[in-house]
Amino acid sequence: MIQVNGLSHDFVLGKKNQRTTLSVLKDISLQVDKGEIVTVVGKSGSGKSTLLNLISGFIRPTKGDIWIDGNHVSDFSEAAFADLRLNKMGFIFQNFQLLPAMTAFQNVELPLTLSGMSAKNRRQLAGEMMEKVGLKAYQEHYPSELSGGQQQRVSIARAMVLNPPLIMADEPTGSLDSDTEAELLALIRQLNKEIGITFMIITHDEEVARIGDRTIIIKDGSLVEAGASV
Amino acid sequence: MKRKDQLQFVIQNLKKHKIRTLMTVIATAMGCAFLIVLASVGFGLQQTVVEDTLEQQAVTEIDIHGKGKPEEGFQPLTMEHVQNIEEIDGVKAVTRRNHLGQVPVFLVDQHEGQTGAVSAHFPSEIASGMELAEGEFPEEPNEVLIGPHFSQALIPTDANEQEVYDEQGMVKEEYQYEGSLLGKTIDMKVTKQIDGEEETTTIPVEVTGILQEPTREWMQDRKVYMTTDLLDEIAAFTGTPKGSPVIGEGMEADDTISEVKVYAQNLQAVEGITEQLDEKNYATYSVVSEMNQINVLFTIAKAGLILIGTIAIVIASIGIYNTMTMAVTERAPDIGIMKAIGANPKTIKRVFLLESSLIGIAGAVIGTVTAYIVSFGVNLGLPAIIEASFGEELPEGLQFSAIPPMLIFIAVGICLIVTILSGVRPAKRATQIDVLKAMRREI
Ligand SMILES: Nc1ncnc2c1ncn2[C@@H]1O[C@H](COP(=O)(O)OP(=O)(O)OP(=O)(O)O)[C@@H](O)[C@H]1O
Ligand SMILES: [Mg+2]
Repeated sequence: MIQVNGLSHDFVLGKKNQRTTLSVLKDISLQVDKGEIVTVVGKSGSGKSTLLNLISGFIRPTKGDIWIDGNHVSDFSEAAFADLRLNKMGFIFQNFQLLPAMTAFQNVELPLTLSGMSAKNRRQLAGEMMEKVGLKAYQEHYPSELSGGQQQRVSIARAMVLNPPLIMADEPTGSLDSDTEAELLALIRQLNKEIGITFMIITHDEEVARIGDRTIIIKDGSLVEAGASV
Repeated sequence: MKRKDQLQFVIQNLKKHKIRTLMTVIATAMGCAFLIVLASVGFGLQQTVVEDTLEQQAVTEIDIHGKGKPEEGFQPLTMEHVQNIEEIDGVKAVTRRNHLGQVPVFLVDQHEGQTGAVSAHFPSEIASGMELAEGEFPEEPNEVLIGPHFSQALIPTDANEQEVYDEQGMVKEEYQYEGSLLGKTIDMKVTKQIDGEEETTTIPVEVTGILQEPTREWMQDRKVYMTTDLLDEIAAFTGTPKGSPVIGEGMEADDTISEVKVYAQNLQAVEGITEQLDEKNYATYSVVSEMNQINVLFTIAKAGLILIGTIAIVIASIGIYNTMTMAVTERAPDIGIMKAIGANPKTIKRVFLLESSLIGIAGAVIGTVTAYIVSFGVNLGLPAIIEASFGEELPEGLQFSAIPPMLIFIAVGICLIVTILSGVRPAKRATQIDVLKAMRREI
């Protein structure tokens, strides 16, 4: 599903004449197979988010190649990457990133609208998705009127609604208490088992790391270990 | 993303900032209305001038002042020229008139008055379309036509001249000649001077017809139209060309004609005839040629007005630019999220362009409606104001402002182009928003 070869990333810091480069990722190669749940762990500042942002196309690598579902995305244009994200990837962020001016339902509906689906199909699919994450009763609530766990479930519904083969999650439980975290993990596991969605999850949390079929450890920008978890 | 959904999305966004949107739309509408109203004055005055000219004079009429090159001075025409002109294709009639060389006194029923007389060749006048209000065209040498205001020139013979006229120089009602002059015999007194001695003769003439009122209210026609035979008779009496009481310099040749007018069969023929006459060195004047000059002038004036009006729209577009820049900045986090989950940069650009276009369209529509209202008000109110403050009566049917469909097309076109252009940069900026920065609320 994901193939990364010799990936390096440097951040350029400072003004024009006093530039310094910060080497964050160094020569990373990894592979995530279809239907896998891969968790990425590592110290704060080790470069986990940077890795995920590179794979997602939010930033472009200094060196190296990335393939997603067979597409060599490292030389994709902005627009092509956007289309790929819409159709093949779902995203779950630590702080949910819901549109505050839209209701929960509209937030879930948004990817469908972007993909040009008819209003009737959108209502049907988004409705089903809301039910799946157990938020049927909260459809008309705005994000500010939902709890953290509920908001994260809305964002999962949004990530899932176009039925993407791959979901990227950067600390999805970071803002949740342990009970809600457990609920969420159950949901992820269920989606993985039932539909076979591939997950790449960045986390600090041992509990979360444990749901992965495999855990990747990053230390100072390098891959330390890529083994199967317990 | 479907067009319909984009539109819905944009309308939702605009609704969130009703006042801001309204202000921007109003500014755009004002610019658009300003452009239309300004240019409409050009269109309105042109229309008035053109209609006025067309109404005042027969459009198929071509005046000939003379023959020759302007730098050499014009030579008066003779019958030979008239005959040549009559042969040109498309010519319906060539009228020729000669002004009597003196202003005779006319006497009828204890009333008298002095007014000009011209001789006319009535068959050609009839062919040219001259029409009578009453009576018939003269057939005998001593028969005449009179202008509809001829009787205004008459006052009672025994009246005190100081009392007869009112402040405007018109004959007071109680002194005016009453009744119709049709069929009356009028005594025409002409004089000649021999060695300082004045000699007068009286020629009785019969009024067989009265001409129609001139097309313009303020024009007065008091003239007497006589036959060429009568003019010859007067000239024989005075022994001078055209019946002048004394011989003047350069008046020896008597075969010249003072007023020659060519009438074309129709409007389309005018240009061809004018061209042929110009080629033969006749100095011509026709409404059609004047109209061309007037139209060129007005076209330049209108272009200038439209240009000035466009400046107003450009100023308004700065408002749109501001509004759109603000909208993009405000919505940067949302745009970042939308880009993250896969919104195409093209879609984002289109949404913002659509937003500025909507403002532009709303401004253009409201501006056009406003312009129509203002234009209507100007046409209604301005003449009244001018009449009240300058005490001057304006000709009826004067139109200050006219809005032809073409002007609407131009104005709306300029308005849309300018407003859409002003939205391009903010829209482009929206597509360049950095996803990560936006999601961290750093913009
Ligand atoms: N936009 C940026 N510009 C410059 N340096 C950056 C930028 N983003 C991240 N970095 C640097 O890159 C390094 C790795 O950051 P990254 O966010 O990938 O860490 P992380 O492993 O996700 O940490 P955490 O667990 O705290 O989220 C850090 O040292 C950080 O300072
Ligand atoms: Mg991180």
